[in-house]
Amino acid sequence: MTTTAAMQPADHPAHALLLACGNTLRGDDGVGWRIGCAVAEQVAGHGLTVVMTRQLLPEHAEAISAADVVVFVDCSAGSAAGTVSTVAVEAAEKMPGILTHHLDPGSLLRLALDLYDRSPAHAVAITVGGESFELSDQLSMPVKAAVPRALEAVRSALHGVPVA
Amino acid sequence: MAQTITIDPVTRLEGHGRITLKTNADGEVCEAFFSVTQVRGFEKFCEGRPYYEMPALMARICGICPVSHLIASAKACEAIMAVNIPPTAAKLRRALNLAQTIQSHALSFFYLASPDLLLGMESDPAERNIFGVAKMHPELGRAGVGLRRFGQHMIELLGRKRIHPGWVVPGGVTEALDAAKRDEILALLPEAYANATMALAAYKQIAGRFQDEVESFANFPGLFMGMVSEAGRLEFTDAKLRMIDAEGLVLVDGMGAAQFDQYIGEAVEPYSYMKFPYLKSLGYPRGVYRVGPLARLNIASHTGTPLADAELNEFKKLAKGPVLGSFHYHHARLIEILHGIEVIEQLFSDPTILDKHVRATAGVNQQEGAGIAEAPRGTLMHHYKVDEKGLMKWANLVIATGQNNHAMNKGVLQVAKRYVKSDKLTEGMLNRVEAVIRTFDPCLSCSTHAFGQMPLVIELLAPDGAKLDEVRRP
Repeated sequence: MTTTAAMQPADHPAHALLLACGNTLRGDDGVGWRIGCAVAEQVAGHGLTVVMTRQLLPEHAEAISAADVVVFVDCSAGSAAGTVSTVAVEAAEKMPGILTHHLDPGSLLRLALDLYDRSPAHAVAITVGGESFELSDQLSMPVKAAVPRALEAVRSALHGVPVA
Repeated sequence: MAQTITIDPVTRLEGHGRITLKTNADGEVCEAFFSVTQVRGFEKFCEGRPYYEMPALMARICGICPVSHLIASAKACEAIMAVNIPPTAAKLRRALNLAQTIQSHALSFFYLASPDLLLGMESDPAERNIFGVAKMHPELGRAGVGLRRFGQHMIELLGRKRIHPGWVVPGGVTEALDAAKRDEILALLPEAYANATMALAAYKQIAGRFQDEVESFANFPGLFMGMVSEAGRLEFTDAKLRMIDAEGLVLVDGMGAAQFDQYIGEAVEPYSYMKFPYLKSLGYPRGVYRVGPLARLNIASHTGTPLADAELNEFKKLAKGPVLGSFHYHHARLIEILHGIEVIEQLFSDPTILDKHVRATAGVNQQEGAGIAEAPRGTLMHHYKVDEKGLMKWANLVIATGQNNHAMNKGVLQVAKRYVKSDKLTEGMLNRVEAVIRTFDPCLSCSTHAFGQMPLVIELLAPDGAKLDEVRRP
């Protein structure tokens, strides 16, 4: 599913895109969606596009190519629960050998570059470490507690604040 | 020495399958099996649920063609309710089914098949994917992305969700179309036309390079089944089924959903969980048949839309009778994309598409009902039995991919005999064995999509089961 929402122009660069990934029925994997929903609810106006999606797809390359700033938000199974990380994303040099239904942010930037000859000036991936991915529509306590910090990280990223 | 070659899993398919090739003492392929190794159980776990839940439940079978399941299921429910849905609801469902067909065909052609077609069967597997296409042929990559976006966005506009929309219900649809959405869809059409016509032109330019594959990719005389109007026009949603033989002779005509199980039986083979449907009057395996784009275009005399009709006329010149080579599924898919765009334009240019009466209501008036629709991959049939309260007692689903099961097996054997020599396995040989399956665009697991990399493993086994050799795709 994909939904879109807008944000005040003054809150972000002219063409900003937030790609929020995850599955709200798989416990902490839904944190990306919740952050995307929160951003969409807290702001109003035009300019920021919020896309909620279960996974990154080649079709997202077009919107990425049109954005100046892109922020990917997702849960991470590889970091400690509740850990909020912000990592700069560059277009991948080498593409994955076999495409199924999953792409990582770097590959998507590369696809945007190859297809549309353009990629955003600034792209970051913000992840929240998760601990529970069983069938549930609830976040674990550490992940729930991390949502405000993740939202703050999103706001900084949308303003183009360099990654430390 | 006799050997067994296993390709497991097969890549760039919707789901997981396994190919096993058996060679004789001379090293020639003598048997081939395409196995589907998953069990879903949808027919069983729906028992006891109210019939009106079925469309929403059954749509979860597939993440690519949930709309077809929604429609076939809703039609089965409407047979139980004994109602006719409002004309505008039928038009909206028709448009939704075509939007799904467009995005699904675009996925099949551009993302899964075009790497073989544009970069070559023997090309580096690390490059032979949509990224390789984007690098070498960005205009076609953009067309593929554009057609996917068009179909998905239209599904989202109509059904509020790109995947598993709940809009189609027993009796019609939940919500009428408003003028703003109609106008938004109409505004997307010029780009969709441009992408579809460009893809068709590009395909026709390169198809000549694959004459060997055209000859050997499941190219054999056989039966075809698909939905057409009484006048023979290509249909996807509200018409009856016709079956023809390899010469084009009509074997069955006017087959409605209620007659489906009178005509069609389902055989089983020990090596696969997927069944083998066949025409009962001819028996199994003589009565096996193909469905999907190639079958539909072989059966239809015309599409009813001008651009697709011109393409269909050209397509039919590929053979004197029905086009028998399954490689031409790719071509047929592109023609159906063009046809879908034209029909959507026709439907949305008709002011009655905004009619507010889009749902009929009724209770249980029959205790059995069946529904059919053309899914992107072919004919789809849902058949239900309920008790007097409308609780599900029994369900049977005949899925498009199952109806191509025998043809896929036959195609694998045909290609393997031509290309695979067990003493010298090459990537190109094995890719062709997979590519013949891809021509059918089978949807094996449907709703459970593969995640991450699917490695290709080929094992050479001696008759006693000992592993002689193994090749792994990076």
